[in-house]
Amino acid sequence: MTDMAMTSHAASAASAERAAVLQKLRGGDTVFYWMTRIAAVSVLGLLGAIMISLIIGAWPALTEYGLRFLTTARWAPNAMPDPVLGGLSPLVGTLITSFVALLIAVPVGLGIAIFLTELCPPRLMRPISVAIEMLAGIPSIIYGMWGFFVLGPFLADRGLGGNLSLFNASLILAIMVLPFITAISRDVFATVPPVLKEAAYGVGCTTWEVVRNVVLPYTRVGLIGGVMLALGRALGETMAVTFVVGNSFRLPTSLFSPGTTISAAIASEFAESADLHQSALILLGLLLFVLTFCVLAAARLMLARLAKKAGA
Amino acid sequence: MSARISPLYAGRKRVNAIAMALCYAATAFGLMWLALILASLLINGLPGLSPAIFLENTPPPNAQGGGLANAIVGSLMLTIIGVGIGAPIGILAGTYMAEYGRYSRVTSTIRFINDILLSAPSIIIGLFIYTIIVVPMGRFSGIAGALALAVIVIPVVVRTTEDMLLLVPNPLREAAAALGMPRSLVIKQVAYRAARAGIITGVLLAVARVSGETAPLLFTVLSNQFWSLDITQPLANLPVTINNFINNPDPNWKKLAWTGALLITFAVLSLNIVARTLTQSRKSK
Amino acid sequence: MNLAASTATAHTGHTMAERIAIRDLKFYYGDALALKGINLPLYDRKVTAFIGPSGCGKSTLLRVLNRMYDLYPGQRAEGEVLLDGENILAPGVDLNLLRSRVGMVFQKPTPFPMTIYDNIAFGVKLYEKLSKAEMDVRVEESLTKAALWKEVKDKLNASGLSLSGGQQQRLCIARTVAIKPEVILFDEPCSALDPISTAKIEELIDELKSDYTIAIVTHNMQQAARVSEHTAFMYLGELIEFNETDRIFTTPKDQRTQDYITGRFG
Repeated sequence: MTDMAMTSHAASAASAERAAVLQKLRGGDTVFYWMTRIAAVSVLGLLGAIMISLIIGAWPALTEYGLRFLTTARWAPNAMPDPVLGGLSPLVGTLITSFVALLIAVPVGLGIAIFLTELCPPRLMRPISVAIEMLAGIPSIIYGMWGFFVLGPFLADRGLGGNLSLFNASLILAIMVLPFITAISRDVFATVPPVLKEAAYGVGCTTWEVVRNVVLPYTRVGLIGGVMLALGRALGETMAVTFVVGNSFRLPTSLFSPGTTISAAIASEFAESADLHQSALILLGLLLFVLTFCVLAAARLMLARLAKKAGA
Repeated sequence: MSARISPLYAGRKRVNAIAMALCYAATAFGLMWLALILASLLINGLPGLSPAIFLENTPPPNAQGGGLANAIVGSLMLTIIGVGIGAPIGILAGTYMAEYGRYSRVTSTIRFINDILLSAPSIIIGLFIYTIIVVPMGRFSGIAGALALAVIVIPVVVRTTEDMLLLVPNPLREAAAALGMPRSLVIKQVAYRAARAGIITGVLLAVARVSGETAPLLFTVLSNQFWSLDITQPLANLPVTINNFINNPDPNWKKLAWTGALLITFAVLSLNIVARTLTQSRKSK
Repeated sequence: MNLAASTATAHTGHTMAERIAIRDLKFYYGDALALKGINLPLYDRKVTAFIGPSGCGKSTLLRVLNRMYDLYPGQRAEGEVLLDGENILAPGVDLNLLRSRVGMVFQKPTPFPMTIYDNIAFGVKLYEKLSKAEMDVRVEESLTKAALWKEVKDKLNASGLSLSGGQQQRLCIARTVAIKPEVILFDEPCSALDPISTAKIEELIDELKSDYTIAIVTHNMQQAARVSEHTAFMYLGELIEFNETDRIFTTPKDQRTQDYITGRFG
């Protein structure tokens, strides 16, 4: 106790000692700062490096075909004398499967989110939302196997396309993005101020009317952001689609015919490809990357706008 | 109930009932898929589950028996190395964003880019690693696969680390600084400690995310029929083995593939649940 | 403002030693001027209270004294704050060292997420290499000083978060005392506490002033009257009046001070 009472008198000696200790710590402080800073900037570098490596890899195909790559449906890597490689069918396949998947998943996901926020007994809320989120945890190859061995035959028996079809792929994709849509919808629903909902209930609205007239309009931007995020996922999904889409490089004639997608094309052909064929596959990859980048960027901007609104 | 229910009100009630019924149906529909997928995994995978799965290597085609030992060990190696590389980078980057650069423009740019990397197609990561590692090395290798996984781990960990550090109340940092603590110690001793459960959750989620990844391994690590611990060579791993075996008519391989699928799914789902309970117990405190 | 400062010296400047001298201090949040040229002494081993309506700049002023504002970009101070004659606002001042000399206790209790023992040992370890036995002594001393030892001596390994709010605040005081500062700043230390805990903290402040120079920000005028020797009344970023506490509360010179202490605004 007594030595503490002397604190202020012994101050200058103590400060000299403390200064010496701090001097030693200072080096570690600087090193740690730069470690975190370099790590942070490397995240930016990563995106740049991915982009550059794809452009370099895709260059031969890009110079050979140019914009024609986007309009050519024929994919004949072994054609004589020159291979013909066009990216139209995988591009179309990617877009069709993703959009159909969203067409199925968005209403279902919204329904689940409404159920969870408005109808679900509190006791069941957590188990059910965890179960739905578990769908996002299942590895994509498992979806592929399941789609091929279980869902495909089931659909084929009912005349909904063959074992391998764009529809089968879309359905699998829908299940895969369902948890994302549900989770984001639930999160943005939570941003609706309770007073707004209470006011609507106060004038005698039914649950559905509150959802339709208050919750959905209020969260519109966030919901669109969430849907775009799910779209970004669906566009790039690989293994699940590779198993069930049929890997046929022909322009699909119907939703129930086999087709291919960009990621499925890369997954199934890349390991055995070389030269221009390989470059064309990387070009497909670049195309996919740019496509998902735009979709995801738009999604993030929309979600950020909503976050700002909720914060204000 | 009042006897004077107007037809208009009755109509509104009917619409409400239908809409709500559809929401119940949607939920049942979503849960049905989970049940169906888990059920087929159990039906097809459980019969093959035996000690041999963990003790014997993958068999040659058209043989009997065999296991997945080499693939399981290979997968563990890939995951550990991938997370070992990716998680520290992710934690450091997340630290910069939440602590040093919280108010800077660089941080918002990094956050934006990171969120995009978070959902970038994993097959693109495979292409990237193929171009920068596999081609110069001249062969497929375990290390290339591990690096591909690390690239997937980084954004997951960056995101959770930043989020969790942002939840640490500022007064706690001020209190530490008020004791004369240098910034790096404030972060390491106080902020990390306060955010520990959340950061661990992030790493576990990253482990869960990469342990089932197949696409980025297809043309980085390839696979291997045999026992190997050499990460400079192609390495057996569970996802690619499943992919190769399931597409083969050999019934023995197919059976092994289903069992592997069962193992991987339950491992990933348990990791997810563990990660969730970690943050949940923290929140409820 | 000059008027305020000269009034202060006129009444109080005879025997007491100035520990901290604030000279023409201006403070900016970005472009917004929050302190408009403050002149003020803090006397050695005395308690100085800062009162005024919310937003008057009293907390801002306190956070200048250990340069806590440096943690945030866009905040800056001009003028001089002399601690033992050394300007702490000068570039090149070691902030960590400064903060080890000028401790701070916050509005809400901020125990670190670790054991009670470690909460105290942690800061000490930064500056001193103590044996386990020496550290045990230091922890006990500090907790005793903070009037907490009796309540926690049997659960030093329990988490600091397991204590009640009042105990947590006393733990924070013990933590600050343990690293032997010269000045302690209290930023509304009782605003989150119940009346009994508040009384304990006030008693504690009264004991601590025999060893430390103390500055306390409070929105509670009775508290200022109870614990301080000097009181500064601030309003809209200006120091309106500084004087011995008794005089401020009995014969305020400025109409605004009088309005505030009689509850006419704020």
